Amino acid sequence: MHLSDRITGLFLALLGALAAWGGSRLPGVPGQEIGPAVFPMVVGIGLVLCGVMIAFGIGHSFEEEEVDEISKAPGLAAHLGRFRGAAALAPPALLLFYVFAADRLGFLLTAFVVVLAGSLAMGARFRLALPLAIAAPLLVHLVFYKLLRVPLPEGLLAAPWA
Amino acid sequence: MSQLLEAFRLVGAPDVLIAILASSIYGLVVGSLPGLSATMATALLVPVTFYLSPIAAVATIIAASAMAIFSGDIPGCLLRIPGTPASAAYTDEAYAMTRKGQAELALGAGLWFSAVGGIVGTLSLVLMAPLLAEMALSFSTFEYFWLAFLGLMCATLVARSSPIKAIASMLIGLLVSCIGIENPAGTPRFTFGITDLLGGIEPIPALVGVFAVSEVMRAMTLAEPPPMPRRKFGSILAGQWALTKRYQWPMWRGNIVGIIIGVLPGAGADMAAWVSYAMSKRFSREPEKFGTGHPEGLVEAGASNNASLASGWVPSLLFGIPGDTITAIAIGVLYMKGLNPGPTLFTERASSMYALYIIFILANIIMIPLGIAMIRIASLVLRAPRAAVMPVIVLLCAVGSFATGNNLFSVLLVGVFGVIGFVMERNGYPVAAMVLGIVMGTMVEQNFVTSLIKSDGDPLPFFERPVSAVLAAMTFAALLWPAGVWIARRLRRSAPAL
Amino acid sequence: MSITRRGMIGTAAATLALPALAQPRYPARPVQVIVPWGAGGGTDATARIVAALLEKELGQPFNVVNRTGGSGVVGHAAIAGAQPDGYTIGMITVEIAMMHWQGLTELKPTSYTPLALMNEDPPGIQVNVSSPYQDIKALADAIKASPAGRFKASGTGQGGIWHLALAGWLGAMGLRADHVRWVPSNGAAPAMQDLAAGGLDLTTCSIPEARAMLDAGRARSLAIMAAERNPQFPNVPTLKEALGIDYRTGAWRGIAGPLNLPAEIARTLTASLEKVNRSGEFREFMANRGFGVLWADAAGFAAFMERADQSLGEAMRAAGLARA
Repeated sequence: MHLSDRITGLFLALLGALAAWGGSRLPGVPGQEIGPAVFPMVVGIGLVLCGVMIAFGIGHSFEEEEVDEISKAPGLAAHLGRFRGAAALAPPALLLFYVFAADRLGFLLTAFVVVLAGSLAMGARFRLALPLAIAAPLLVHLVFYKLLRVPLPEGLLAAPWA
Repeated sequence: MSQLLEAFRLVGAPDVLIAILASSIYGLVVGSLPGLSATMATALLVPVTFYLSPIAAVATIIAASAMAIFSGDIPGCLLRIPGTPASAAYTDEAYAMTRKGQAELALGAGLWFSAVGGIVGTLSLVLMAPLLAEMALSFSTFEYFWLAFLGLMCATLVARSSPIKAIASMLIGLLVSCIGIENPAGTPRFTFGITDLLGGIEPIPALVGVFAVSEVMRAMTLAEPPPMPRRKFGSILAGQWALTKRYQWPMWRGNIVGIIIGVLPGAGADMAAWVSYAMSKRFSREPEKFGTGHPEGLVEAGASNNASLASGWVPSLLFGIPGDTITAIAIGVLYMKGLNPGPTLFTERASSMYALYIIFILANIIMIPLGIAMIRIASLVLRAPRAAVMPVIVLLCAVGSFATGNNLFSVLLVGVFGVIGFVMERNGYPVAAMVLGIVMGTMVEQNFVTSLIKSDGDPLPFFERPVSAVLAAMTFAALLWPAGVWIARRLRRSAPAL
Repeated sequence: MSITRRGMIGTAAATLALPALAQPRYPARPVQVIVPWGAGGGTDATARIVAALLEKELGQPFNVVNRTGGSGVVGHAAIAGAQPDGYTIGMITVEIAMMHWQGLTELKPTSYTPLALMNEDPPGIQVNVSSPYQDIKALADAIKASPAGRFKASGTGQGGIWHLALAGWLGAMGLRADHVRWVPSNGAAPAMQDLAAGGLDLTTCSIPEARAMLDAGRARSLAIMAAERNPQFPNVPTLKEALGIDYRTGAWRGIAGPLNLPAEIARTLTASLEKVNRSGEFREFMANRGFGVLWADAAGFAAFMERADQSLGEAMRAAGLARA
């Protein structure tokens, strides 16, 4: 989402103001003149200054815009058409899914879903996505659980070597 | 002399050699996988070291961490996803070189100058440890504050386009570093009642999110970039000698700066890479080329961060003072194996000390052939379909951030920072500056507050102490330089009109 | 009886006996040991040696899992919230008796089934080697004579156990808890470094944590706040010996499980932990690091934690650090 400098600048200024306000409400600590409130306030004020300057166009960026070609966008983005930007939310959504499902479904199943959904969303064919979604979780589990002794959750499907 | 021979014998033991080889490969692989980090790699080695002999145990930590710091450059260069915060300093530069078709030059520079930096750093450790230790011990909180501030300033010196946006990014990073209870007052800040936030935001999940996840997010909406011409990766090392001759001064500057910064506990490879990259740009004869794919910055920063790794062992070995998480883990392993840090390590157990030096040098030497192999393997990744690589990266991000603390909250953080990084980059805010802010924030605040406590609120010692004064002068120079240049330019422009 | 009927009665008898025979002995599969602190630290190292020795005793793997975060709250919460089936236990540390006073969590020492107390490290009082105070009496007198806030001390973060130790010692000497100004630090090592750099007057971290600097001749330990001298550092007198003040405290570590652990399992673990504690291997490991070994069984540990909880709460209130 490419927003104008004015919007991002104002957002930063708002963030800075909130930070400074939140910081100012922190109680001091006996024996420390510069309490926990100072740093957030200084940073907050700095953000307000920067945000205002950016909003007024002082921090004009010189990056060229990347032209998105709808026709060539992969998988999910192509399906969403006008809302193709929302496809970018797929990876964080998958991570969120992992956080909530890993303990209940177990690592192997959750990882299977993550890899399958991820590669389909990137436009892969089933004949690539499916074997990948089976092999990758198994390999990762083998290395992390068996070799590095990381306690990956078992859930509904335990690995044969667990 | 007999100690030295004994040391060679210790290192030559088959279990030690196997340990070095195995952990080198492990470190290389883990460091080059986006989503996994050198810190995670080292932390996961601890249970393994339990079963090894003392020298073998320490050898695994040394080898794995040295390799992982180098191999963090590989995904940074090829995919714009740095493996460590240190690599983040020059990821954009390296990636620009890959886009120009010069990936081998970039990676080769990373490899060659990392090895050089590591060896020079080790030599400094061997020859100058006591001297460096004295220097480290003379640094009190006042000096650390200026050093940390100087480190933060590097964010602006490095900004490609808009310095103000870089400063804003850095401030966001500083704000993120405020979260938690890890502040001098011990007061929970911005935790909103969430227990997991009490410990604050670790730099690694933020780094992984902001680079790796946001890169995958970008890939979701953009067409597949034109496939790179299918040519075999040329020799990785060809051209490195030419680079060495051309950029001798930057290389040595990087080595020295890296050694000095590494010796100071708390200032680690991350800061060394940033400061060196900024210095490279500031002192270069071709500063306008930086950011377009220019190897000079890679030479200096690559040497610096590996040199700092080696010299970072000085306070660890001499005083048991960790420079960063990795050395903290290493110190723990040293203690566990009866190689207590301290002068006894140099006197009674001198052969073990020499053995450690030999292992350092050995690790940096075998980094070259192993690194070349790793680079070639990694380059195959460029040929694999994006739709296969990206989802696996997401999976690795999840597992990698979970593995360090066995906490699912880290995975959530990675996702959140992914979104933040994506939005920031889209709008021209350099995320690397934000990561720098997160890494350095605590150091700045901690040293500022404690210094004022010690001086009873008096700000003078910040400027009176000799080293402080020097660092303060450097900081102000760095701050005022761009302003001075800007003013000079305006004056020159308006002069003819008069 | 024909063979068939004898066979049938035999089979029936055997089938009835099966449940009793099939009862698996604890532990029947690997046990997880949660450590609320990071890999490589003192708590982590102690937990790992205990886990390794438990594995030898009980024959099943005891895997140490670091659950860091929230300054120890996350790990302690993980131990308290685990299934009370004996397959998840953990190492709890002195912070459990401090965190609820700070309002960081609801967890207290009584939120666990205590199994055994394994170690306690009392704080020492360290000064720079070129400090004008060569012994604890000189230092104590100087502190008493000085205006409040002149002396600066460190050793851990604000409100940490070593901060409380200093406050308690000052209180025992009849001074205000903040008579010596506390400079918070990120742990003992940076504090010792600052001490050696001349930035502090004293530190009150544990002697093992100060050891490297002591060995390097950069710092000197003037006293230890314990009942007895640490055999690893026999030249350091106790506060009682040197000043006549019987003030002692310490950072401790023990093994515990979630509440409502079956009594049989708890007994097995405590018995094994006692063997581990008294083993040569454990003692040698702890001696090498200079960590103090202590032993208390489940009931002793519970009483110990109760006392610690009370006294730490008092100390925190006196120092103005309590929030709950």
